[in-house]
Amino acid sequence: MFIPLSILSEFLFIEPFFVYHVVEDMTISFVLIISISFMSAIVIPMNVYRVRTLQKSRTKISGSVIGAIIGASAGICSCGPIGFSIISTFGPVAGAATAFLTNYEIPLRLASLGLLCLVYYSTIKSISVECKIQ
Amino acid sequence: MSKRIIVSAAFVGIVIVVVILFTSLQASWVSSNEYAMERLIASQQPPVNLENGSPALGSESAPVTIVEFGDYQCEACYHWFHNTRSTLIDNYIDTGKAKLVFIDLPFLGRDSPKAAQASYCAEDQGKYWEYHAILYTFQNGPPDSGWADRDRLNSFAFSLDMDIDEFNDCMDSSKYKIRVKANYDEAVKNGAQSTPTFIIISQDGMTKQFSGAQPYSVFAATIEPML
Repeated sequence: MFIPLSILSEFLFIEPFFVYHVVEDMTISFVLIISISFMSAIVIPMNVYRVRTLQKSRTKISGSVIGAIIGASAGICSCGPIGFSIISTFGPVAGAATAFLTNYEIPLRLASLGLLCLVYYSTIKSISVECKIQ
Repeated sequence: MSKRIIVSAAFVGIVIVVVILFTSLQASWVSSNEYAMERLIASQQPPVNLENGSPALGSESAPVTIVEFGDYQCEACYHWFHNTRSTLIDNYIDTGKAKLVFIDLPFLGRDSPKAAQASYCAEDQGKYWEYHAILYTFQNGPPDSGWADRDRLNSFAFSLDMDIDEFNDCMDSSKYKIRVKANYDEAVKNGAQSTPTFIIISQDGMTKQFSGAQPYSVFAATIEPML
């Protein structure tokens, strides 16, 4: 999760050299990426375990996936290759959408982080209640 | 079952690490034979058409040309302008080792081509690079938020002591609309799919292309072998 997010947010470059570069103005964005990656890495496997092993509902896993997707989508640089493809294909409406994602990157990522924390909390509670040693 | 998942995940992780390492090592292994081959290939390919681009920043006789494809409403271009460009100018452009040419790739919004046209209207009055700098200095907000609307473009011209009547005539007549479109087409033709995209051209026609607001070290590592 961390590597794709870094590539999408243009912190990690592969061409012409493998370079990780964080501009001073983007420090908050970088910290949020780390946080979302960390939480996603914890929450998604926990919920996969819940669904597969405990045969429980998929609500929480969908919540964690949604949180991860919001966190990944926010801050996609509208001037990056994905933004360029979308804008070239769909025109000004797509431009407005990608601009929204860029402009509200921090609130969206904070919301994503909040959602992941909520899912983490409820998953912990759920697993500790639902796991019974026979 | 869980063991299988762990083994699969480990395999995928190893593959990703190997691919990343291979890619970075391959890029830095510029052997003399590869360099010679690249020179041979480059000499057979036409360079980027710069005739509709900006006036060159730096000496016309500089051996290396740095071509930047950019959009004035692009946030990444803003970051590159403020974090990398000045060091590049100090170490390569002012020393006569390289020159910089800006070619518009205005795709982010309806104000992007207008800002590009305004820069060429400023060029008519000998203030292209000053206007270029002011656009990236006062970039404020997402594309088409109004920071680069017609009134603001006029105010930038006013702040540079430009002839406003001449500037307005230029903008109203859309004098440089075709030029900006030609630049856009040239950028797309050269494979630019994001902004900023850079093409570094050596004196013998060898080119190196990459995109993103990359740090100064990347430019130095790319330009030095070309000198």
